[in-house]
Amino acid sequence: MLQNLHAGEGATPLPPSPGTLLAVQDLAVSYDRYEKEPVKALNGVDIEVREGDILGLVGESGAGKSLLARTIMNSIPGGGRVSGGRIDFMGERIDAMSEEQRTRLLGNALSMVVSNPRGELNPVLTVGEQIGNMLRYHKGLSAAAAQDEALSLLKAVQIPAPERRLSAYPHELSGGMAQRVVIAIALACTPRLVISDDATSALDVTVQMQVLDLMTDMVRQKGASAILITRDIAITAHFCNQVAILYAGEVVELADTDLFFDRPTHPYSIMLFAAFSHDQALRRHWTRQADPAVPASACPFAPRCPRRQHRCVTERPALRRLGPGRKVRCHDPVEA
Amino acid sequence: MQMLSYVGRRLLFVIPQLLGIVFISFFLIKLIPGDPAVLMLGPNATQAAVDRLRDDLGLTKPLVEQFAIYIGKVLQGDLGTSWQTTRPVLEDLAERFPATLELVTLGLGLALAIGIPLGVAASMQRRGPVRKVADYYGLLAGAIPDFWLALVLIFVFYSLLGIAPAPLGRLDITLIAPDAVTGSLLVDSLLAGDIEAFRSAASQLVLPVLTLGLVNAGPILKMTQSTMDRTLASDFMRYAEMSGLPRRVIRRQAIRASLPSVITLVSVLFSVTIGGAVLVEIVFGWGGAGQYAVQGVLNADINPVLGFVIFSALLSLAIYLVVDLLYFALDPRIRG
Repeated sequence: MLQNLHAGEGATPLPPSPGTLLAVQDLAVSYDRYEKEPVKALNGVDIEVREGDILGLVGESGAGKSLLARTIMNSIPGGGRVSGGRIDFMGERIDAMSEEQRTRLLGNALSMVVSNPRGELNPVLTVGEQIGNMLRYHKGLSAAAAQDEALSLLKAVQIPAPERRLSAYPHELSGGMAQRVVIAIALACTPRLVISDDATSALDVTVQMQVLDLMTDMVRQKGASAILITRDIAITAHFCNQVAILYAGEVVELADTDLFFDRPTHPYSIMLFAAFSHDQALRRHWTRQADPAVPASACPFAPRCPRRQHRCVTERPALRRLGPGRKVRCHDPVEA
Repeated sequence: MQMLSYVGRRLLFVIPQLLGIVFISFFLIKLIPGDPAVLMLGPNATQAAVDRLRDDLGLTKPLVEQFAIYIGKVLQGDLGTSWQTTRPVLEDLAERFPATLELVTLGLGLALAIGIPLGVAASMQRRGPVRKVADYYGLLAGAIPDFWLALVLIFVFYSLLGIAPAPLGRLDITLIAPDAVTGSLLVDSLLAGDIEAFRSAASQLVLPVLTLGLVNAGPILKMTQSTMDRTLASDFMRYAEMSGLPRRVIRRQAIRASLPSVITLVSVLFSVTIGGAVLVEIVFGWGGAGQYAVQGVLNADINPVLGFVIFSALLSLAIYLVVDLLYFALDPRIRG
């Protein structure tokens, strides 16, 4: 079936199988340019989140992690547009929904934890108002009931002195507190899927772990699933049961966490591991930027790949199954 | 408490600010060529008579001494006499300044009533007819001079259609003005219970207010639209959208965030229009303060000019104080 999906560029993706919460299939996002070919920032992304999954989405800067999250949330930045594929959430196509349907879904069943909460919270509304808004407009609570509920949410995210924070403005919060507020907002209603867009990158390492612990605990308590977007592959080992590696707008490896950390197969995945090693020569590959001039018919990773063969520059590999619990986009994956 | 001490400090600064403004205007006006003594006595006066008058007026004294004498009088509430009207400047301005104030306030009120809703609607609807209308209107309002629009309105509504009253001042000449309490004819006639005077004053106001309103709505519309555009593209508004808040809430939050810029613009427009409405005042024979000051400049009648400068400076300082207080109320970040 997977072979079918990627038989040709023009093949129409099929509806996802039951039990799948979110299915992104062959998703492409393009940016149009004046009198030039559009740039494809996402180029056929496939990911799948089942009920209860916590998926780690890893990639270097510019790989398209945030763009993927924002595309799912229907908020593509900078004038990009979906140019192919489909996104199914809870059995419905969210990329083809009416604005009204989408408004009811976003922030409610599908919510996002942003990475720069002090810039993304409304500067002129109090914390209580911002959490309360979610409850009022998604759950129909009265203003007073929403404030009560907001208070218990602030307690749940373990903010010190929650009563006082209710009437605080975002600029009066520390980074860690603001992050907790954003988590409270994301979990205020009845989330089925929470997307964390590098939510803890701005925090101290110790606070980072606390916040991630708290968030994944709350997600599990609510029986929801999550996507953790990160540049830190160690985080995924801790918190995720699935890992997807994104490179140049494509998923290059998608595997169960155990399998992946036991034995990564895509050359890029192996280089990711190497980047966290102390070996200088290995790390140098990691810091080199993706080559934008790679022709569409080649593997985008080919210029950086130590295992490159003739076939890699003439034929773009498809994401294919490699044993149970793993898919990889490589002609010549590293198999033990 | 914090607010009160802030206002107190601001009011203390008003005195040196006023002194500076009067100082600069005094010497600038003295630089303008033209001898009031010659103009007062006419072309047939003898040199001896002119010299005597110059001496009587104190024009032979050094400039610094003249300034000291002027300031001394101002501090006693004496703004001098206008030789054209032969009346104390304070009395003249007490009559004319409210006329201008009434006109400008209503005119800018109308401009706000047109500019803000149109700007908001144009910004909320990127593609669509409202945006087009707003674009053209902004262009048109920026290109049309107010006195020209005034003449066109008079031509159409007075000369052609005959529904507007003659553009000859603030009240029908056959009516007696109500006792001056506030200086605003609308308010005063209502206070006096004189419905006929009220109706006449209102109908005299229609065309000049329409002129100022239509012209000034242009910049207000542009400012509202561009600030709203920027706000809607900001991180926190995108986050609000991703949180699935309803459109009306998004709009309300965006307007709220855009208000400070609009308030700034309106305060500047207000200060500028107090003097800048002079062309409209002349076209409608309004007898306002701007007209009075321009007559003063043309006839080397210095006291009305300085009196006008002091009045409008006081007004501007008051407006800017109000603006600062509004910022205080609108933005928790300034409250600190």
